[in-house]
Amino acid sequence: MTLLEISDVSKSFGGLKAVNRCAFGVEQGSLMGLIGPNGAGKSTLFNLISGLYEPESGSIRLDDEELVGRRPADIASLGVGRTFQTPRSFPTLSCLENLLASVPSSGEQLVPSIFGTYRAEERTAVKNAREHLKQVGLEARADDRADELSGGELRMLEVARQLIRRPKILLLDEPTAGVTPTLQTHLAETLKGLRDRGLTIIVVEHNLAFLLNLVEHVVVMVHGSVLTQGDPDAIRSDPEVVNAYLGRRGSDA
Amino acid sequence: MNWVQLAITVVTVVSILGVVTLVLNMQYGHAGLINFGVVAYFAAGAYTYVLLTQSPPSETSLDQYVIGLNLPPWVGFIGAALAGLVFAAITGWPTLRLRGEYLALTTFAFAEVFHSFTINEQRFANGTRGLVGVPRPYREELSFLDYDLALALAALLFLIIVYIIFERMVRSPYGRALEAMRDDELALITTGKRSSRFRLEVFLFTAPFAALAGAIYVAYTTLVIPDLFTAEVTFVVWIALVLGGEGSNRGALLGITLVVLFEELIRAIPFDTIRAAQIAASLEVAALGVLLIVFLRWQPFASLTKSTRKVARS
Repeated sequence: MTLLEISDVSKSFGGLKAVNRCAFGVEQGSLMGLIGPNGAGKSTLFNLISGLYEPESGSIRLDDEELVGRRPADIASLGVGRTFQTPRSFPTLSCLENLLASVPSSGEQLVPSIFGTYRAEERTAVKNAREHLKQVGLEARADDRADELSGGELRMLEVARQLIRRPKILLLDEPTAGVTPTLQTHLAETLKGLRDRGLTIIVVEHNLAFLLNLVEHVVVMVHGSVLTQGDPDAIRSDPEVVNAYLGRRGSDA
Repeated sequence: MNWVQLAITVVTVVSILGVVTLVLNMQYGHAGLINFGVVAYFAAGAYTYVLLTQSPPSETSLDQYVIGLNLPPWVGFIGAALAGLVFAAITGWPTLRLRGEYLALTTFAFAEVFHSFTINEQRFANGTRGLVGVPRPYREELSFLDYDLALALAALLFLIIVYIIFERMVRSPYGRALEAMRDDELALITTGKRSSRFRLEVFLFTAPFAALAGAIYVAYTTLVIPDLFTAEVTFVVWIALVLGGEGSNRGALLGITLVVLFEELIRAIPFDTIRAAQIAASLEVAALGVLLIVFLRWQPFASLTKSTRKVARS
């Protein structure tokens, strides 16, 4: 079953066609890689899916719900989770609070917040948040402010902030940048575990060694469109992909 | 110098402006919304209270105002709160999408427009002459007590109530969401939360308290003139908030106490000549500026006013 269906999506910035009639589908429960040289439109595509940009044409459907035209917050609520190339967090809040602030709570309504009727719910939420911190290896930093974290830890915190929301699909933008090799291995295992439990994941990654060992399907984007797609082995040996990354050989020019 | 009288004045003014500082702290300190027009809520509450409670204009007087509904004080207070709500809606709705300095400029402009309206529209509240001799609410009912003392206690009670409400909000997931929005609005949105809802709610919920403070202020001054509601009020409240440390309700109150105490102490010095009083008045402003710089540089209250959310840190 196709969970996310991107059809004929285009987006330009001035004269630059960042995403050009891009189309592909993502199977429910798959762990997919999205690669391509700088400027291929990968991050723009993430922004289009999560509603931060609106495409000029085309449709993006999640579980047969049209996402185009919806507000980013509503798209997130429908089950799209995403991280950013430069990780985003709530720097003055503790790691635990970063996770708590990422899930809905009845205490976020005015009246319950004043009368304190959210307390029981909050205790469960705190427990749950601690488990999610543990999942990304940040349990020891629960009470530290997010702006005290290292770049890699911040990335893991962002992943945890999205995971705790239980999205249907998770879009990860360069999750290994600045993350130590040990944590990378841990991250890869976590992602595989999540996939096994039914989460659909798209990973944009420049670290091809990491990516091709992780995913089962790869979409290659060049100049805003899909160049090719297939399993990691096919992609590895595809001369077109090599050309796209390294440029054409002198003899071809 | 009458120390008792001075103490009563300080408590009254600190309580009234303290509420406005707490409102600004919710909007800016917690939600990150820069409001440079906070005086407008205060003024809207004060003017509404007077228009609702004063007697209709008489034919023989020089009054030019046209509205005087002669309603009981409690209606005036409710009306003042509603006026704050309406003003927050008028200014909050169109500025919802504005960030940072743009919001600051727009809120400042709205407040200036209102100020300008009170000066220029004679039929609203006599323009620059304003309305003087406003009856003090519940004077007879409170006759068993010195009225100034009663007013100070009432204002203090109001401050305490507002403090408790705001403190509960701040320590709840609501406060956490506001601070998350302040820290990174996009990060909050991508967790499925509409930040515009929080922005509007904070404006609408807090403004009526500042407006009520304005109505209580009239009971203290017994007059409303545009000169009382200039941008200076906004800046005094801002200075107080920065002195005490934004983001902390305790800090906000500490800041406004310092500022008001400082101003009232200087005002209480008996000067021999008008010239001396004028010099003192200028020095007061300069000294307040120096004080602000010193506090910004060394943040002496940082440890005292640091706010903690016990729910999440348990």
